[in-house]
Amino acid sequence: MLAVDVKNINKIFANKQDTVEAVKDVSFQVNQGEIFGLLGPNGAGKSTTILMLTTLLSITKGSASILGLDVATNDKLVREKIGVALQDTGIDNLLTGRELFFTTCRLWGYSKKDSEKRTAELLELVGLMEAADRRVKTYSGGMKRRLDLGLSLVHSPEVLFLDEPTSGLDPGSRRVLWDEIKRLRDNGVTIILTTQYLEEADELADRIAIIDEGLVVAEGTSDQLKAGIGGDVITFSFENNDDLENAKNILKSTVQEKNELRITVKDGASKIPGYLKDLSSNGVEVSSVSASKPTLDDVFLQVTGYRLEGSEDIKKEEEKSKR
Amino acid sequence: MESNRSFLLQLQILTKRMVLRVVRRPLAELPNIFISAFFLFVYDGALGDVFGGSVSGTPFDFANGNFVNFILPVSILSASLSGAASGIYLVEDIESGVFKRYQSMPISKWAIILAPMNVGAVKVLLQASLILLIGNIIGADPVVGAIGYLVVLSLAFIGGMGIAGYSVAAGVKSGSSQGAQAATFLFFPALFLAPTFVPREALKGWLQTAAAFNPTTYLIESMRSVLVEGWVIDVLLKGYLVGGIFAAITLFLAVTSARKATEKA
Ligand SMILES: Nc1ncnc2c1ncn2[C@@H]1O[C@H](COP(=O)(O)OP(=O)(O)OP(=O)(O)O)[C@@H](O)[C@H]1O
Ligand SMILES: [Mg+2]
Repeated sequence: MLAVDVKNINKIFANKQDTVEAVKDVSFQVNQGEIFGLLGPNGAGKSTTILMLTTLLSITKGSASILGLDVATNDKLVREKIGVALQDTGIDNLLTGRELFFTTCRLWGYSKKDSEKRTAELLELVGLMEAADRRVKTYSGGMKRRLDLGLSLVHSPEVLFLDEPTSGLDPGSRRVLWDEIKRLRDNGVTIILTTQYLEEADELADRIAIIDEGLVVAEGTSDQLKAGIGGDVITFSFENNDDLENAKNILKSTVQEKNELRITVKDGASKIPGYLKDLSSNGVEVSSVSASKPTLDDVFLQVTGYRLEGSEDIKKEEEKSKR
Repeated sequence: MESNRSFLLQLQILTKRMVLRVVRRPLAELPNIFISAFFLFVYDGALGDVFGGSVSGTPFDFANGNFVNFILPVSILSASLSGAASGIYLVEDIESGVFKRYQSMPISKWAIILAPMNVGAVKVLLQASLILLIGNIIGADPVVGAIGYLVVLSLAFIGGMGIAGYSVAAGVKSGSSQGAQAATFLFFPALFLAPTFVPREALKGWLQTAAAFNPTTYLIESMRSVLVEGWVIDVLLKGYLVGGIFAAITLFLAVTSARKATEKA
């Protein structure tokens, strides 16, 4: 049985002033025990999709089921099976971490004794044991995210929805959460997560759907998506603009970015000498050239026509924290 | 496990959590208690001698010789305003996202809505009791005996639930806890467009008209009847009736608006 089966869902928000088609047509399937990543920029429709799948928003058109249960008609049963951590964490700042876990355990039907036990387990799991008796108000952003994740795990859900679980976290905290998410997957939990970070999708997700303006524009494993580019990426960079302009005419079908030109070809490395010969015979000076396997970044650029902002930042942060 | 997850248990757990929130912010309770007690002291201090009959030759003896009895309902109703906390608490949960989390769980919608109402009700009872106690200490003495306090408390409760319902409806509608808080300030004028300091007959014409349409009037008169006059059944019943209708209307509004907030967009 599929963990999640989404068939052509669509969401239109209509109010007095205007209507917004937040999700145009989204379909995907998630197998049990898999991490599925929804990758997309701000406003792509990721959260709206998650809210529909978690029974918090109605679906305008199309249908979706979780473990064979229809989200629209069987919402109560669906809620028993899923864990949800939304983009805006739903956390009560006045209570302590322990109290929040305890209350949530009780609401899920655990007895007082079992609630205490489960609370301790979960505090341990998300690394909040030491801060357990402090008010949540005093927690850092990373601790709040971990708490939120922990709260969505109380009833050991079979399917877990995480909407941008690591946004706003530093690289260290992000790694901690990534490891935690992987461990859950290894224990058999199916995870659907959204992200605007390429690296996160690449690192975590077994399969990825790239979503842009309410549509799924590509889907597959990270390797499949990269292979779909159809070759390697050769990057030429130039010191002066005339050289760059000339090279553009000579190389054909290039993509320019600042002082660089990119070209996607099969067996990139072996083709470099040929290109360089063409260029130098036309008097074009190349300052550097390299061939590389395509990255998700390249995939994103190809399927959407633009780069995902913010993915640069995460790289910079990682480098900064290494220093 | 399944049977445990009953509505009442959920309500109890959610109420307990909300009580914890109240306890964590004890200072938030003070202003309303302070204002209510302050009213009692200053009105009695300023007007007690004139209207209480102890200034010789005063023609105003409607307080039957005990002005604390007469003014106590005003302070009590001011304490009832603490019922507005219901709306504030509910909207705080909506703002913090806690409400959404509960919605994503298999919990009864009613438990989510009723928990803050419960806490509002408890607050009204506690604050009103405290004011009754202070009143008793400074000389209140119901003509019908101690049972008069119970009558007053029950009327305060009904009024408080009316305010709680109103605050929930206003809070959900405005979508912010400030909205809920601001909306309850409407009740302060209502406290004074009424026979607050003197009986209704002694008010100027326009104020008499305003008072006639103000539910507060009937609650005050009803409480006053047992404190000052004795068992005046028709006045007493009018208080319960008007208070009950007021509470029923606002609670209906509260439930419909809160239900709407729990429904999927
Ligand atoms: N309740 C709503 N009413 C009207 N429009 C909405 C509503 N919720 C979302 N939208 C619109 O739908 C689009 C998709 O929003 P959504 O929150 O799903 O994007 P997202 O991919 O989660 O973005 P982000 O990365 O910023 O969280 C946006 O244009 C947003 O403005
Ligand atoms: Mg989002």
